[in-house]
Amino acid sequence: MEFLANIWQWFAGLFTVTPGWMIFGGWMAAGLTLCIYSFLYKDNPFFKVAEHLYLGAGMGWVFQVTFFQTWKPRVWDALMDGQFVVLIPTVLGLSLMTQFFPRISWISRYGFTFIMGYGAGLVIPLEITTNFLRQIGGTIAPFAGGAGFWAMVNGAIIAFGFICVLFYFFFSVEQKGVVKKASNIGIYFLMLYFGAAFGNTVMGRFSLLYGRFDDLYKYSGSGYFYATHVVLGLLVAYFVLDKLVLSKKNGGQEPAH
Amino acid sequence: MKSTLEKFLKIDRRLIFLALAIVLFFPIVRPLGLPNKNLGKDVVNIYNHIESLPAGSFILMSLDYDPATRPELHPQAIALVKHSFRLNHRIGIFTLNAGATGMIEEIAERIPKDIAPAKVYGKDYVIFPYQPKPQAVMTQLGIDMYAIYDKDRNGAPTREMEVMKGIHSVKDMSLGICVTGTALLDAWVAYVGDKYNFPMAGGVTAVSQPGYGPYLQTGQLKGLIGGMKGAADYESLINELDKGTSGIDSLSLAHILVIILIVTSNIIMLVLKYF
Amino acid sequence: MTLIKKQIPLLICFVVGFLTLSSYYVPHPVSEKYMEGINKWENIVFGFAFLLGLLSLFFSHYNKIRRRVPGWGYSIFVYIGFLMMVVPAFVSWGQQLDGASLTSLGWAYRFVFNALSGTMFSVLAFYIVSTAYRAFRIKSPQAAVLFIAALIMIIGKVPLGQMMWDGALGWTNVLVADIVEWLMSVPVVAGRRGIMMGLAVGAIVTALKIIFGIERQYMGKD
Repeated sequence: MEFLANIWQWFAGLFTVTPGWMIFGGWMAAGLTLCIYSFLYKDNPFFKVAEHLYLGAGMGWVFQVTFFQTWKPRVWDALMDGQFVVLIPTVLGLSLMTQFFPRISWISRYGFTFIMGYGAGLVIPLEITTNFLRQIGGTIAPFAGGAGFWAMVNGAIIAFGFICVLFYFFFSVEQKGVVKKASNIGIYFLMLYFGAAFGNTVMGRFSLLYGRFDDLYKYSGSGYFYATHVVLGLLVAYFVLDKLVLSKKNGGQEPAH
Repeated sequence: MKSTLEKFLKIDRRLIFLALAIVLFFPIVRPLGLPNKNLGKDVVNIYNHIESLPAGSFILMSLDYDPATRPELHPQAIALVKHSFRLNHRIGIFTLNAGATGMIEEIAERIPKDIAPAKVYGKDYVIFPYQPKPQAVMTQLGIDMYAIYDKDRNGAPTREMEVMKGIHSVKDMSLGICVTGTALLDAWVAYVGDKYNFPMAGGVTAVSQPGYGPYLQTGQLKGLIGGMKGAADYESLINELDKGTSGIDSLSLAHILVIILIVTSNIIMLVLKYF
Repeated sequence: MTLIKKQIPLLICFVVGFLTLSSYYVPHPVSEKYMEGINKWENIVFGFAFLLGLLSLFFSHYNKIRRRVPGWGYSIFVYIGFLMMVVPAFVSWGQQLDGASLTSLGWAYRFVFNALSGTMFSVLAFYIVSTAYRAFRIKSPQAAVLFIAALIMIIGKVPLGQMMWDGALGWTNVLVADIVEWLMSVPVVAGRRGIMMGLAVGAIVTALKIIFGIERQYMGKD
């Protein structure tokens, strides 16, 4: 037993984060980031490795968080505490796994119906109160008095646009006359929404890219022994070599981009 | 002429990728220092709301973002924590997104270092563990939060902590803020905000920001921070410029590039069509 | 057998759905007690749900390796990625910080998961630009409205765009940031609210169908 404990201690010791590990971390992060970006030039093994690592790491992360922050305290510790009632939701949760065995997959229905019933029961008040009644209230509110002139004008535009969009969505009968006109105006309001959403999406995506570039810049410093530069250089060298080999093989034909 | 324009329209997209990479990277190496003016109204509203709370108010922060949206949302969360601590409010942090636990630990690591070194864990703030079913947590928060959060993320009992004094459910708190790249804010508005008449505010990505207009108009949300621009606005308000503000230079150049590209391609299309 | 395989699960769905819905609207100690119990249980049940995704990922990549399909070697990295998170987690017993310093789990998050996940999503920025160049065409009045709204947002959200606007249209005394604010708080609200209401009606109907057992696709085939 002591022997096993010693081995574990030695093993755990390997995982102590030293300053060297932090520098290696910079190399790891810069390497993985650039491996994924290399796909922008063309598909390659480095990207595929990083892509598969991502799938596994994502699942691994959720697994360990759920293990240590839910299963252990909510199930294991509760059972040790004598709260055997937690066995019921645990069995319901585990019943979901029978999905993988067609002969007994019906057992998973117990878990699924438990989740679906709860979800459906809660979604109704969300939609009725928050997304339906409160929205109608919000549309009427500017006309209830107390609002200034411009607030009334804006309120009128919102109410008008909102009704037109509803015409577009809800009238499945043949649209003609006033209904068609209102529905057409509704489309313009939707386009304004989609246009604003697109403009914001552009900004959002750039922000994410900026974040990664900022990290790459950090790892390009001398503190990390120029990790970004070196990895980038190696990737470029790989693509140059790959191109040379490829051009020898089939006369330089590359798939179009 | 026509064939040249057509070629230009079908330019190798890798050249566009390269152009974007250059315009985004350049200001990181050589900051332009563009001023971030015209602060968003909804951002100012959150700031004012937090300012208006009496010292010692309990603010609940649900930080539900993961690395995928980190550059936009992490600066927002840090600015909110800094502001709340500066006004001596109490903070309870948790997440309903497993991927966010690392982000929260990063904040936990920074609080004693540079965010608010004077603040004490357990007295001024507490961090709860991740829980998997958001609706279950939200509905429970209005009844008795200790049914789910009886222990903090390290297993210490929370009920006796000084920071939790007088706190039993959201009804005893002053403000809830959800920072997320998912649709969780909608659920917060419904299950906590609307149900208990509890003031809610949000921090979201630029992508989802336009979707919250209706909640802001009805007052279901007291304010909203949207994307990196929102983070930069908040940093300006609390006068602590950080990662949100430093990204504005890069965003500026990249936006101009997009405008040039869209306008150019449309002009080329018109020329090809009518000339 | 139909009773056990079908009717009891449907009854569970109905009972749980009905009680949850009514408890939401009836503030009573009994309903609060019910909600407290079901909330705790749901948390645990849902905690196991992600295992479905995990196991199906593992099975599919295990099959790729077993059958030696082209590119099977990459599948090994799915397991390596998983272990890169889980092994440090068990070594540091789920703790990411040890006092003020990082544990191996914190390291794995910061340098592996953060880099992989953040980069994967940021790649979209490149494609949005090239798509905007190649496909964002004004071919109809509706597209023109969409284009103008997008353009105003792109210009009005950043300082350089605001400066350009001031240079070209400063004489109008209208700030582009004000137009952005108006756009976001008036027409966008109208458009979004319409969509919201459409979705709300659909969601309510679907939820009722689930509670009453009319919608049961999620249960799979008999």
